[in-house]
Amino acid sequence: MEVNELISKSPIRIFEDSINGGLGRGNLGVITSRHGMGKTACLVHLAIDRILQDENIVHVSFGANLEHVMGWYKEVFKEITDFKSMDEAVEVYERIRKNRVLMNFSQENASMDKILASLKTLMNQGSFQADALFFDGYRLTVATEEDVRKIKDFAKEMNVEIWFTVSPVKSNVEFDEYGIPATLNRDLIDVLVGMHYNDEKSRVIMTVVKDHSSDIPKPAGVCLDPKTMLIAE
Amino acid sequence: MTELEKMRNIGISAHIDSGKTTLSERILYYCNRIHAIHEVHGKDGVGATMDSMELERERGITIASAATSVTWKGYDINVIDTPGHVDFTVEVERSLRVLDGAILVLCSVGGVQSQSITVDRQMNRYRVPRIAFINKCDRTGANPFHVVEQMREKLKLNAVMVEIPIGLEDKLEGVVDLLRMKALYFDGPNGDIVREEEVPENLMEQALERRQMLLEEAGNFDDDLMEQLLEGEEPDIEVVEKAIRKGTLSLQFCPVFCGSAHKNKGIQPLLDGVTKYLPNPSEVENRALDLNDNEREVVLESDPDRDPVVLAFKLEDGQYGQLTYIRVYEGCLKKGDELYNTRTKKKFKIGRLIKMHASEMEDIQEAKCGDIAALFGIDCASGDTFCGGKVNYAMTSMFVPNPVISLAIFPKDKKSQDNMSKAINRFMKEDPTFQCYVDPESNQTIIKGMGELHLDVYVERMRREYKCEVEIGQPEVAYREAISQRAEFNFTHKKQTGGSGQFARVAGYIEPILSAPGSDEEVKDYEFASEVKGGAIPTEYIPSCDKGFQTAMKKGPQLGFPIVGVKCVVNDGAWHPVDSSDMAFQTAAIGAFKEAFAKAKPAILEPIMKVEIEGPSEFQGAIFGTVNQRRGMIISSTEDNGTCRVDAEVPLAEMFGYSTVLRSMTQGKAEYTMEVCRYAKVPTSLGEELKKKAAEKEAKEKKK
Repeated sequence: MEVNELISKSPIRIFEDSINGGLGRGNLGVITSRHGMGKTACLVHLAIDRILQDENIVHVSFGANLEHVMGWYKEVFKEITDFKSMDEAVEVYERIRKNRVLMNFSQENASMDKILASLKTLMNQGSFQADALFFDGYRLTVATEEDVRKIKDFAKEMNVEIWFTVSPVKSNVEFDEYGIPATLNRDLIDVLVGMHYNDEKSRVIMTVVKDHSSDIPKPAGVCLDPKTMLIAE
Repeated sequence: MTELEKMRNIGISAHIDSGKTTLSERILYYCNRIHAIHEVHGKDGVGATMDSMELERERGITIASAATSVTWKGYDINVIDTPGHVDFTVEVERSLRVLDGAILVLCSVGGVQSQSITVDRQMNRYRVPRIAFINKCDRTGANPFHVVEQMREKLKLNAVMVEIPIGLEDKLEGVVDLLRMKALYFDGPNGDIVREEEVPENLMEQALERRQMLLEEAGNFDDDLMEQLLEGEEPDIEVVEKAIRKGTLSLQFCPVFCGSAHKNKGIQPLLDGVTKYLPNPSEVENRALDLNDNEREVVLESDPDRDPVVLAFKLEDGQYGQLTYIRVYEGCLKKGDELYNTRTKKKFKIGRLIKMHASEMEDIQEAKCGDIAALFGIDCASGDTFCGGKVNYAMTSMFVPNPVISLAIFPKDKKSQDNMSKAINRFMKEDPTFQCYVDPESNQTIIKGMGELHLDVYVERMRREYKCEVEIGQPEVAYREAISQRAEFNFTHKKQTGGSGQFARVAGYIEPILSAPGSDEEVKDYEFASEVKGGAIPTEYIPSCDKGFQTAMKKGPQLGFPIVGVKCVVNDGAWHPVDSSDMAFQTAAIGAFKEAFAKAKPAILEPIMKVEIEGPSEFQGAIFGTVNQRRGMIISSTEDNGTCRVDAEVPLAEMFGYSTVLRSMTQGKAEYTMEVCRYAKVPTSLGEELKKKAAEKEAKEKKK
C-alpha cells in the first residue's frame, strides 16, 4: 500500500467526517472513557495519521516511561501499515522519528505554565513547527479552569490543535451512557468523544458527544477493533 | 571451601561520573590494600590510586582499566575498574570478557543513564551476572527507589533492593540490611567501623514491605524457600541467600545495594554481597574453540590440574617492557613454565609472573586457575590465547566496534617522527579501536578512533610519554557508502591480445540489505549468493567473484569510504577454458560491481549519534537550539525536579566541539554523553558537497 492510499483509506477519515472534517487548529479535543478501553492506542493512531500526512506532532506524556510510548508508536505503525517495498516502510518509519517529539512531565511537579513554556521553547528555539499536540493521560478532570483556559489560549496562539486522553482520577466517578465521566468540565472543549463498551456488539463504541457548537450526541461512525484496539470502521 | 570457591573476578562499570573509581578506592581501602583514601578530584593532588596515568589524574577520568587484587574476609577479589566514557568502550568490553561478575554502579540522582544502558547491554552479551550499587545517595535529589524502578523498566532487570538507605541526601546515615533486618552505621573518620543497630522505627514499615518483596522474588529461585514462605514461616537467611545467589548467577535477579562511596557508607555490605552473590570462576561457563578439531566449541573447566588455557586480554607498554594481562581459565601457571601462543604458534617461557595493584606490582610464583595476573616481556597481541601445549584452543574473539572518526597527524620534526611511529605502534597493540594507516594518496598519517576524546587522549599521551610534538588536522567523520535500489550488472572482462589472455563474464544484480523498520537488528555489511545454473561460471570461480565484490566494496567511488549493506548475487556468466582464471573473475566482479553501483542510486551514510543532554530546566531552550542547529532530531525531553533531559539524534559530523559550545551556553551546568546509534543517509545537498570536496582533495594531491 502506498502512503497516499494509506491516508485516504484510513478509518480516521470517517471519524473526521463525523466531527465536521476534523478538530481544527486552535481547538481542544478530548477522548475519554473508563480505564483500559484503549485510549492511548487511539491517540497514537490519530498521531501517526498526522505524521503520515507529513505534519509534525508532539506527544506529551505525564510520568510515563518514554520507552513504552515509543513502543506504542512502533506497534501501531506495524499494525496499520502494510508496505510492499521495504524501502518505503523504512522511509515512512524514518518520518515518524523525524516528525515526532516526545515530552514527559510529572504532573505533580510541573505546572501548566511550565509545560506550555517548554512546548513553546521546543517550537521556537527547537524550530519544531508542531501541527498537533497529543496530551496522553493529562488529568483534565482535576485541572483548574484557569489551566484549561491557558491550554486553549496556547492552542490559539501557536495555531495547533490539541488532543487529550482523559481518565478520571478517582475510582468512584460516575459515567454516563457514552462513557463520559461526570467530573469532566465540558465548557472549553471543542470536540468530546466518549468510549464505552457495548456488550451486544462486544466492541468499544465511540460517540461524538460534543462537536464544536453542536451538543447533540451522535455515533462517530467508527469503533475500536477489539483485537488491535485501533480505530476501525 | 576450596581456593577456587573463594575467588572472585569482578568489574565495576557504569555511566560517566557515577563514582566507579571512588568506589574502587574505598574497596582498596577497606581491604587494607591502601592506607589512606585519595579522591579522584582530591585537593591533595594525589589522585585516586586506580587512576595511575598522569593524564587520568589530571582530567579526573579513567582511561585504561586497571586491575587490582584485594582480599576481603578470606576471599581473593580481582577488581577491574573500567572507564566510563563511551570512547573507551573497548576497555569495558575487554574487561567484561574476563570477568565472572560485575557491580553495576548507578547514580541515585541520574538513575539509568545512556551509558548504563550500554554497559548493561555489554554485560548481557558476555552473560555477566551483576549486582547493582546505587551510589551518591548523599546527593540532593537522591531517590534510589526510583532508580530501582528505572532498572526494572529500562534495563528489564529483575532488580530488587536488599538494602534501603537510612535517610537520604545530606541526612544519609547508613543502610538497613533487609535480610537480617539490622541497621548498619559506618563510624570512624573513614567509615571503617560497621555498627549494627536495630532498625529505626520510622523505617520499619518500609523495610518490612521491601523485605517481603525481596523474599517473594527470591522464592522463585528456590523451592524450599517458596515452601517456607507459603507456610508463613520465617525463612532461614542462608536459604534466602542461596536463592538470591542462584537467581543472580542465572542473570534473572539483580540484588540492589545502596550507599555513598564518597561518604564511606554502604561499601562493606557491598563487598559481602560480592562474595555472597557473585560467582566464583568455576560457576561460569567459558568456551573456547578447538583449533585441532575444526574450531569445535569446547567448554573450559576450571580445573587446576588440566593443561593451562590462558587469555591475554590487555597489553600495556610500561617503562619496563610490555606487560600482558592474562586470565587463567584452565590449569595453573608457574614461573618458568612454557606456554604456546596458538595464534603465532610460538613457544615462550614465563619469566616474571606478577599481580597488579593499579600501578604497583608484586611478583608471584604461581597464578591459580581462574586468576587474573600479568606477564612481563611477552610478544603478543591482545586477544591471543596461550596453551600449555597439550591442547590447541583459541578463546573466541572479543567484539570490537569500528572506529567512527579520523584525524590526520603530522610530526613537527624528525625526532618526533620516530617517536610518533613508536607510540602509534604501541597504542595499536594496546587498543584495537585505535587504528592507523598512511593514506597512499596524500601520504598523511591518519589515526582513527571512537571519538574526539579518544584521539585527544592518544595525542596527549604521545606528547607526554614519547615527547613527540604533533600537529593535528581537522577531525573527519568515517562515512560509509551504500546503495538505495537494486541494479543489474553484466560485465565482461577481456584481455586477449598476446600472451596468456584473461576472460570472464559475470552477470547478476546487487541490492540493498534492509532491516525491518523499528527493529534493532544489525544489518549485515555484505552478503553473497550464487544463483548460477548450468555451469555458466565453473564452481571453482564462484569464490573469486565473491572475493572481487569484497575488494570493490572496500573503497567506494563517491568518497573512498567502504561500502556497506549490499547483497551481491551472480546468476549468469561466461568463461573460457584457457583464458579464465581466478584473477580474471575477480577483476570482472570488481568491474561488474562498479557498473551496478553507479546505477543503484548510491548514497553516503554518516554515523548518527544518540546524544543525551542533561542540565537545569532553564537551559532547555538553549539545549533545543543547539540540537536544532546541528541537523539534530529531538527524540524526547523529560523534566523533573528542575532538571531536564533531552534525548536527541545528531550526526557525528555536527558534534565536533560540542562540549565547548554546551559548556559556554549553560555556564558549565549541562553535560552530555553520546554514542553511535546507527548510520543514516546524508542529505543530498550535503552529499554533493562532500563529493566535491573529496574530488578537489584528490585533484590537489595528484598535482603534487
